[in-house]
Amino acid sequence: MSMAGKVRRPWFSRLVFLGVLLFLYLPLGVLVVNSFNASKYGGRWDGFTLGWYEKLRQDEATLAALGNTLKIAALATGASTLLGTLAAWCLHRYRSRLQSLHLVVTELPLAVPDIWIGVALQLFFIQAGWDLGFGTVLAAHVTFCLCYVTALMVGRLQGFDMQLVDAARDLGAGPVQVALRIVLPVLLPGMIAAGLMAFILSVDDFVITFFVSGPGGATLPAKVYAMARTSRNMPVINALSTILILATLLTALLGHRFLKPKSA
Amino acid sequence: MKLLNTLLLSLLLTASLQAAGETLHVYIWADYIKPELIEKFEQKHGCQVVVDTFDSNESMYAKVRAGAAGYDILVPSSYMVGLLWQQGLIRELDRGLIPNAVNVDPEVLAKLEDAAMSHSVPYATSYGVLAYRKDRLKSPPASWSALEAAEVRRRACVLNDMRETMGAALRSLGYSVNSRDERQLARAGEVVKRWKKAVAKFDNEQYKSAIDSGEFVLVHGYSGDLFQVVEENDQVGILVPGEGVVMACDEFVIPRSARQPALAHAFINFLLDGVVAAENMEWTGYVCPNKDAMARVSREFLANPAVAIPEGVRSKSEVIRDLGKDLPKYTKIWDEIKAAR
Repeated sequence: MSMAGKVRRPWFSRLVFLGVLLFLYLPLGVLVVNSFNASKYGGRWDGFTLGWYEKLRQDEATLAALGNTLKIAALATGASTLLGTLAAWCLHRYRSRLQSLHLVVTELPLAVPDIWIGVALQLFFIQAGWDLGFGTVLAAHVTFCLCYVTALMVGRLQGFDMQLVDAARDLGAGPVQVALRIVLPVLLPGMIAAGLMAFILSVDDFVITFFVSGPGGATLPAKVYAMARTSRNMPVINALSTILILATLLTALLGHRFLKPKSA
Repeated sequence: MKLLNTLLLSLLLTASLQAAGETLHVYIWADYIKPELIEKFEQKHGCQVVVDTFDSNESMYAKVRAGAAGYDILVPSSYMVGLLWQQGLIRELDRGLIPNAVNVDPEVLAKLEDAAMSHSVPYATSYGVLAYRKDRLKSPPASWSALEAAEVRRRACVLNDMRETMGAALRSLGYSVNSRDERQLARAGEVVKRWKKAVAKFDNEQYKSAIDSGEFVLVHGYSGDLFQVVEENDQVGILVPGEGVVMACDEFVIPRSARQPALAHAFINFLLDGVVAAENMEWTGYVCPNKDAMARVSREFLANPAVAIPEGVRSKSEVIRDLGKDLPKYTKIWDEIKAAR
């Protein structure tokens, strides 16, 4: 509120806003444009082509990596949402002396750099005699997604009215009935939002995957990283990135809808 | 419930996919084998080939060293082969299973540590050469001194790779790229410092697009990459410095922890077949040191200046070797170069 009575035009904040938009989206714009550029190196405009999308369609290794990414993301999302919600419920509902320790242990990986988690998990898997590959990548993804889901669901539960449960019990509902007909419907939007968050995190992860992946377990980010240096078909990555940006945008929009609190 | 069912189903599918048939795991650089040839091998042997890619010898080594099991074939550069062998991470090859190894060019073998192919077989070679813009430079000398010409000042780049760039400097002085002599290394360091003053930057990735767009007029890079630029842009020419160049050779090895050693040998043998290797190298742009295949490749391929390294330069070119405890001599000079202004 301006003292002069007249609201000043926030030109500075607009400038910052524009600057941020430019810095964030201009590089993405260049990438999208180059995915239609006939030039292999993107140094100059050689004409419009859909050739890179066609090459992508035939590039089995890249598509296999994409398949791995989606499979792992879907499985990790399912498992971490289920486990994370249960963890959050218990942390919220039951108090014990080790309560805060539990919470810290669950949420600590949020603060620990990815590279430590990656190295630690790699050493652990190898020590445990578990071959690096699809399974280890999945386990690692469930692990770090779990932290985010738990943190989000603990927050959600702050607004959960426990009297609903008591009321249902008073009216004769059994524990299973309470869980399925009261708790689940109330928590579902939160779970979906947390799940989408987990999905995006899993698709996005490079550092942890880099350490724990093994034969046949490479995800798309790992594949793109390996291609960046030596590939003869770099624009294929531009084409794929364009598709992924679109998909991510849609997922994020969807998540936003679920995250928005319902107007009372 | 539906969601859970779908999840379980996809889990089962994944599990069954992994169980079906024999699977060969290849760990290699990106886009380094023609995909159709892999399919051909799969059909021939009724197996599945899974290709995983790495971006540098070092990241591959870190993974294998850490104990990642299950890769059946690795394709490291020759200096890394020596290290893997010393560490006992790769196994001796059964030459009886690789009859096509007779196709390997003895001239290339002679430059390698494992010339007898006891534990490694050369797959593809590449040279560290220069590329220039024909429209901007009139007849630049085929020499490393081209980097110091006034007309390329701040419009050139050299590889950001210690052994490659130091190797080029050593060759420009007539020394071995694997020199352990500190006086020679110091002189090579001076050369690279002069280059640093002249060029715009040290670069490993952008040089292809930079020479293609004309942003730079002279770049130092790998012949396999520059092969593709020349193929696409006729304004780009190759310069092979007459003093000799650094030669890289990527080789097949089979890790000790391989699950499918027999299939791995068959795969190596398959790619060493003359017809297969000829088809493969025309796709990758990297020359397979395969005498039978070189007689079968197209004339266009041989005419590409990134392939046709003159005989006189080839004999003066060397492969980078692992220097073991002498490596810090290089690192020290390289750090000085990086810090110099």
